[in-house]
Amino acid sequence: MGHGEKGRPGKRQKSSAKDDYRSAMPEEDEAIYGEEMEEDYRDGDGEGKKKDFSKLELKLDHGNRPLWSCADGRIFLETFSPLYKQAYDFLIAIAEPVCRPESMHEYNLTPHSLYAAVSVGLETETIISVLNKLSKTKLPKEMIDFIHASTANYGKVKLVLKKNKYFIESPFPEVLKKLLRDEVISRARISSEGPGADGFTISKAMGEVGVGHNELLNEAELAAAAEEKETHSFEIDPSQVENVKQRCLPNALNYPMLEEYDFRNDTVNPDLEVELKPHAQPRPYQEKSLSKMFGNGRARSGIIVLPCGAGKSLVGVSAACRIKKSCLCLATNAVSVDQWAFQFKLWSTIRDEQICRFTSDNKERFRGNAGVVVTTYNMVAFGGKRSEESEKIIEEIRNREWGLLLMDEVHVVPAHMFRKVISLTKSHCKLGLTATLVREDERITDLNFLIGPKLYEANWLDLVKGGFIANVQCAEVWCPMTKEFFAEYLKKENSKKKQALYVMNPNKFRACEFLIRFHEQQRGDKIIVFADNLFALTEYAMKLRKPMIYGATSHLERTKILQAFKTSRDVNTIFLSKVGDNSIDIPEANVIIQISSHAGSRRQEAQRLGRILRAKGKPQDRMAGGKEEYNAFFYSLVSTDTQEMYYSTKRQQFLIDQGYSFKVITSLPPPDSGADLSYHRLDEQLALLGKVLSAGDDAVGLEQLEEDADDIALHKARRSFGSMSAMSGANGMVYMEYSTGRKLGPGQQKPKPKDPSKRHYLFKKRYGSQDLSNCFSVCAKARDCDAARVIQTGHMVLPSLGVGSGCHPHLQIGVMMLVYPPVHVYIE
Amino acid sequence: MVNATKGLFISCDIPMAQFIINMNASLPASQKFIIHVLDNTHLFVQPHVADMIRNAIAEFREQNSYEKPT
Repeated sequence: MGHGEKGRPGKRQKSSAKDDYRSAMPEEDEAIYGEEMEEDYRDGDGEGKKKDFSKLELKLDHGNRPLWSCADGRIFLETFSPLYKQAYDFLIAIAEPVCRPESMHEYNLTPHSLYAAVSVGLETETIISVLNKLSKTKLPKEMIDFIHASTANYGKVKLVLKKNKYFIESPFPEVLKKLLRDEVISRARISSEGPGADGFTISKAMGEVGVGHNELLNEAELAAAAEEKETHSFEIDPSQVENVKQRCLPNALNYPMLEEYDFRNDTVNPDLEVELKPHAQPRPYQEKSLSKMFGNGRARSGIIVLPCGAGKSLVGVSAACRIKKSCLCLATNAVSVDQWAFQFKLWSTIRDEQICRFTSDNKERFRGNAGVVVTTYNMVAFGGKRSEESEKIIEEIRNREWGLLLMDEVHVVPAHMFRKVISLTKSHCKLGLTATLVREDERITDLNFLIGPKLYEANWLDLVKGGFIANVQCAEVWCPMTKEFFAEYLKKENSKKKQALYVMNPNKFRACEFLIRFHEQQRGDKIIVFADNLFALTEYAMKLRKPMIYGATSHLERTKILQAFKTSRDVNTIFLSKVGDNSIDIPEANVIIQISSHAGSRRQEAQRLGRILRAKGKPQDRMAGGKEEYNAFFYSLVSTDTQEMYYSTKRQQFLIDQGYSFKVITSLPPPDSGADLSYHRLDEQLALLGKVLSAGDDAVGLEQLEEDADDIALHKARRSFGSMSAMSGANGMVYMEYSTGRKLGPGQQKPKPKDPSKRHYLFKKRYGSQDLSNCFSVCAKARDCDAARVIQTGHMVLPSLGVGSGCHPHLQIGVMMLVYPPVHVYIE
Repeated sequence: MVNATKGLFISCDIPMAQFIINMNASLPASQKFIIHVLDNTHLFVQPHVADMIRNAIAEFREQNSYEKPT
């Protein structure tokens, strides 16, 4: 069992190994259980390093206790134990979840996770005694030592923001001295007074009113000790805060700093009068995540991890409503800025003049002393020159002391951008929200000191059981390569076309067509088909006559297609490139078919699944034992015997760790489907193969997208040329696609020159003819380009023939536009 | 006069047959081992290549399967 056998390694049994032994063993027979456990341990431990646990001492009443704890910091939790809920809440606070299948969870104790535990108010002794109480075996000495060592220094140092200045505070002057001996920290220090004794500012502060983690088994005593304490502090340079924090982490000086915000006693910053509306009823897990954040009446910085569609925004809005101070909310793009503003208005009693959006199109300002600003990371971090208006707003953002910095989708933002945003804005408390705390480049750990520890992470399967998110059947459909395609795939000269070949595999196409038909006709589902490969996206969509959206699709067209998908009964399937991964909100969809993907990105897989996680149907049908066992479907089509198999398995890891299992389907489409589906005849298949092979290497590659598409990137690019036509908006970025012989700078990454064969069909039809509508369509293609905006604002656009003066010298296409009468287009 | 050639009869799925054909094609003429391609899923090859083919396929499979690092 488990991942023991090789051969076709463990593929067919994809759900995590730990699922199996539950069914294999009778629960009452504890002795057998012990052995099973141990066997798994060997399996998981990999080659050679077999450990002997036969001497492990079981407590007499071990049957009632849910945990197995190992000396190396790993903890296993039985989810069928009556104490599961309590044990889970406790474990999630002190340990990092590794893998959470249905019956058995694995956790790992790490310095970071213990840091998080201390910062939510757990004390070393509490951790050890509760752990000991829950464990079937005596706690290994190594584990106790580890907990002691990792938590000894926690909570001794605090980072405090007072009147726009950062202070490091501690009741122990000797600790501060020790910190100052560190070079980084001493450099960051700002000494206000001359060489005093030790120069610490001493102040009287109310002692901690700590509330332990007492809901747990009545274990921890309520440690309420309100007494006057002396605290010592020194000021540090705001720009160095991040470095100082990093120096204090467990892997360096090991005095991790706590960041807490005593918002109730903050009299300096004006209050924001908002309440949650009565109909906003946080769900149990939302309550729980908030209670982690506001555990002792103060607000802690940190990250809350909830699956997509589980109501992250309500958590964010509730946090803002509790703190009741000015709030800066950062989102990834303009669309989600609108969504956040909407969510604030939906869930809270905030008045229209208290909330404002700050994007390149929308520069609002709130009136009064306090309010909510919703903006994008790019707008805040943008380094170039801005318009006067946005400069003013940015200045305001910088100078304000924010009560809460709310950060959406923290996993997508590159670390350097974060640093900039965090150093630019002064906030008392930071809350990061995300669904998938994984990145292939492992920069996730940076978030630990940039924002704070992970406060809460929901268990996906528990939410599914509660009916809060859709119950998804995940399936991997194995499509064998056809003879001709596989022969080409193996040829060395086609190494660059491998991806195109396995994506365009006719068997895969037929499987996709079959699934679309099945779900459209039999179940009346709404289907999203994802393809990263633009060539495949176009081919599939054209052949099946379905609408598609990709990077170059204009905002107008996108809205139209999505609207049709949401409301029309005739549009049940849309094709999306990776632009649909994150920002597009399509609650109607309940089936995803993935035909190509971005290599082995676990995050992409999880985000895509997230598109269909929003709970559907009536609650009673969704609960266990309801009418429908599954109400959403996630298919990943994979060509067997190709690299895709490797990527596919890797991509699924995150979801498998969340407890999802992938069913392997091998016989799709059914053999009797014959000529109903496309590419049945050999000559059709060969024609397709010819098309793939004749397409240029770059045409069949991945779509190049500006990852954080925001207007700023475009404006920055346009500033470099200053011709009249650029000013008038006639020289929009759209022409850059056809320019040759010019290297595009990093800020100007547009899709590569397009091969005519894969151009959008609407585009292709109009391309070449030079009438007025032609210009319109070309303009509309340029996303956010000024020309497009000019048209929208109703100015006249006249076409002129041939290439005129003032045009870009490398421009090769003959269509040029003049804006008449000349208007000045305001940029940013 | 009857001519007999001793050899191996391989039966496999379509892609693997292509893989073996491709492997054969990449070798110099003297080392070519396929005697006859019988149909899409059956090949007739020289008797000594069984292990070589097995290893090549195992390696190919290995490249296409992901194992979670522990």
